[in-house]
Amino acid sequence: MSSKDDEYDYLFKVVLIGDSGVGKSNLLSRFTRNEFNLESKSTIGVEFATRSMKVDGKTIKAQIWDTAGQERYRAITAAYYRGAVGALLVYDIAKHLTYENVERWLRELRDHADQNIVIMLVGNKSDLRHLRAVTTEEAKTFAERNGLSFIETSALDSTNVDMAFQNILSEIYRIVSQKQIRDPPEGDTIRPQNYVSSVVSNTVLVIIEQLFNHRFCIYSSDFCTIHQWLFVLFINL
Amino acid sequence: MAQTMYSKVDEYGFERPTNFDYKLHAEFMEKYMRTLVRRAQRWSTLKGKNKYVKNNKLRRFVRKGVPLDLRSIVWMQVSEAQVLKDASPANYYNIRKTQINNPALIEMIKIDVPRTFPDNINFISQEYLSKQMFNVLATFAHQNSEVGYCQGLNYITGLLLLVTKNEEVSFWLLKVLVENILPKYSVTNMSGLLVDLDVLDELVARFDVDIHRHIRKIGMPWAMVTTKWFICLFCEVLPTETVLRIWDCIFYEGSKIIFRVGLTLIKLHKTEILRTKELSELITCFKDMRNHKEVIDCHQFMINIFKIPGSITDNELQRLRIKYSKTQNQR
Repeated sequence: MSSKDDEYDYLFKVVLIGDSGVGKSNLLSRFTRNEFNLESKSTIGVEFATRSMKVDGKTIKAQIWDTAGQERYRAITAAYYRGAVGALLVYDIAKHLTYENVERWLRELRDHADQNIVIMLVGNKSDLRHLRAVTTEEAKTFAERNGLSFIETSALDSTNVDMAFQNILSEIYRIVSQKQIRDPPEGDTIRPQNYVSSVVSNTVLVIIEQLFNHRFCIYSSDFCTIHQWLFVLFINL
Repeated sequence: MAQTMYSKVDEYGFERPTNFDYKLHAEFMEKYMRTLVRRAQRWSTLKGKNKYVKNNKLRRFVRKGVPLDLRSIVWMQVSEAQVLKDASPANYYNIRKTQINNPALIEMIKIDVPRTFPDNINFISQEYLSKQMFNVLATFAHQNSEVGYCQGLNYITGLLLLVTKNEEVSFWLLKVLVENILPKYSVTNMSGLLVDLDVLDELVARFDVDIHRHIRKIGMPWAMVTTKWFICLFCEVLPTETVLRIWDCIFYEGSKIIFRVGLTLIKLHKTEILRTKELSELITCFKDMRNHKEVIDCHQFMINIFKIPGSITDNELQRLRIKYSKTQNQR
């Protein structure tokens, strides 16, 4: 591994989940190596690959993890979610059953992943227009109702693949960097192992902040540090 | 075999990995060819009706490698798949005819068949192989509802077909592996796999405390790198020739061979493992094991698996499995 590869400002772990055959491995290979295999091997165990991207002038190293889709493998995949700050929940737009199973995958995330993991719903195989079984509207509405971002991709013709990763990485970055502005860590960069806790604590802060803005809207986050917020919150409770 | 020595595909039609060391392989093959010839001669001295009945001599022979053209018949005998076949009230083709009817199962298998060995020239050029793979998997799935179809069985079936070149034989070998030889790895809750992952952890801890401590420190769950060891029996993990030599012994001696191979792999890579600093590096280290000189030299590797890990008896393995199935049940 060259040292160049290792130079990054942030390392984000993102997991790919979804039913067997929806194209998780091809999304991974399209994003990290710009490769696509019509007949790629079925994934057993765990695969991962990395790619660095620029977000707001910062280098984000995305470590993408790919897992087996068959339901029984969930018996051993709980550990894959550890430390993940993002999840791409993939279904096949041409197979309705893979979309129906999205709810089960969300439950799986609730049970095993960090509660503040950023989730993006991905309708893959958008090139299969003539076979479409899940409408964009339907999936979009579902995503909105469940607080997920949503995109349709095609690993085959590359449509929106970079965009999907760019979006989820930006979203994660936004959360992490907001936290940094409020509560700068020692030194210039956050150490990779701290990201998860950054996201977790940050989200807690955002929730407190929102609650607070709701009750006492005269305060603005631009003028107060989080310590002041907590203090004010404490004395108001 | 000589003409394929420098080929981009191996003797079984598999594309070699991109970082394949051709020079190292050529050096090994030159030596291994002589071994193969000698072994073929030795096997030809076995005569008579009971020539493949299990005894110490046959076990020694199997450990030194079954010649490719004898694998079908020897595997059928030593694994007792032949007994299973002879005792079955219906023959394979009757089971196949009556059993294939569950659409969800069929769909799952259909997704995986073309995704099994897309890079194998035999599967690319001979369409009937895919059809046979589907037949074996679907027939197996329908006659064993506890397992049905488990991803990973496709790789085992594919390799069985390449070696035996016979759909019926492949079915019985798959059946004896999943139902008799291996614990419940492929069932819907993968209970046997969960137990054996714990067993592996304990065996590694006993075997090499430094490696165990390091892997714990990095926080790698065994399932991440060893699932394929148990589920695919090293297919897609190690070079094909090494895998088949391992299978020779699994059919004869059972699932403890998986632990022998696993512990040997870990020990041979001790320096590399201890050098890793974080999870992704450690996983890469495990994935690169197939390129290790001592793994490519399958003959030496097979000698090592019976030497390096020391004694692993059936009784001890049984005791550990009971111990960890109790802890699994408590979870």
